Amino acid sequence: MQEPATPSTKRSPRYAAIFLVLIALTLIELWVATAGLAGGWLSLILLSLAFGKAALVAAYYMHLHGDSRLYTTIFVLPVLLLVVFVLLSVVI
Amino acid sequence: MSEHTLSHTDEFKAGRALGLDHRKLGMWLFIASEVMFFGGLIATFLHYKYQLGFPEIASLDVFQVGLNTLILLTSSLTVVEALSAIRHGRGGRMAIFLLLTILLGVAFLSGQAYEFYKLYEEGITLTSGVFGSAFFTLTGFHGLHVLIGVVWAIVVLARGLRGAYTAEQNMGVEVFGLYWHFVDIVWIILFTIIYLIP
Repeated sequence: MQEPATPSTKRSPRYAAIFLVLIALTLIELWVATAGLAGGWLSLILLSLAFGKAALVAAYYMHLHGDSRLYTTIFVLPVLLLVVFVLLSVVI
Repeated sequence: MSEHTLSHTDEFKAGRALGLDHRKLGMWLFIASEVMFFGGLIATFLHYKYQLGFPEIASLDVFQVGLNTLILLTSSLTVVEALSAIRHGRGGRMAIFLLLTILLGVAFLSGQAYEFYKLYEEGITLTSGVFGSAFFTLTGFHGLHVLIGVVWAIVVLARGLRGAYTAEQNMGVEVFGLYWHFVDIVWIILFTIIYLIP
């Protein structure tokens, strides 16, 4: 069963530019991790950078940006559950 | 049979009930289940990390694993470029990018094998304690997913070389890409919670 693929992007993403941002964020992560910040702030910054990178990959490389909202819902709902799991695992 | 029923039947036979491709929808549902799978492992790792402190983390080589992270990020670029290439009808370019993806995947797995070997030399094994069990289970399952992705990429490349994909018909490449990018996202999170956060 073959059919046309769904290009499904509102605009043509610049994959190489996104790649450079991902590399830059990774290098920033490595720098921040060794910068000697206090634990709480360090965790918050590093988690923000990681989720930012993950969001970029999902939005542009997986084409969630501009694709059916159903795909985004299917992906984001378990991620929210995961966050709850992780928070419970740390608190309990 | 009503016109609506006929239309829906045709859509279903075409694999596009809900107006969405069934293969792509199936992959997204699979990815949702994978989020929960890795979620359980991540929650377990973090629970024990904050309970026990995991002093063994000092044995991890952040910069070597950082290099591995850059390799996996690069492979995501090559996968999306492969999809872009076939969508423009450039099968040869797609094959080159898929081959690069395979090589980068093998490079990542080699780096991970080297890391595991070094940890085993230091006495940190799957059965040496809670850290070993949690660490090797979590990163090992991720590595298994990369290995499956490499095999899948080889299959997609072989099919591509036989002309299975065109500018109009390339869902096989897209679905593989969704899997590969998800594995990349999992590593982005693992790299932070295992190696970077104290």
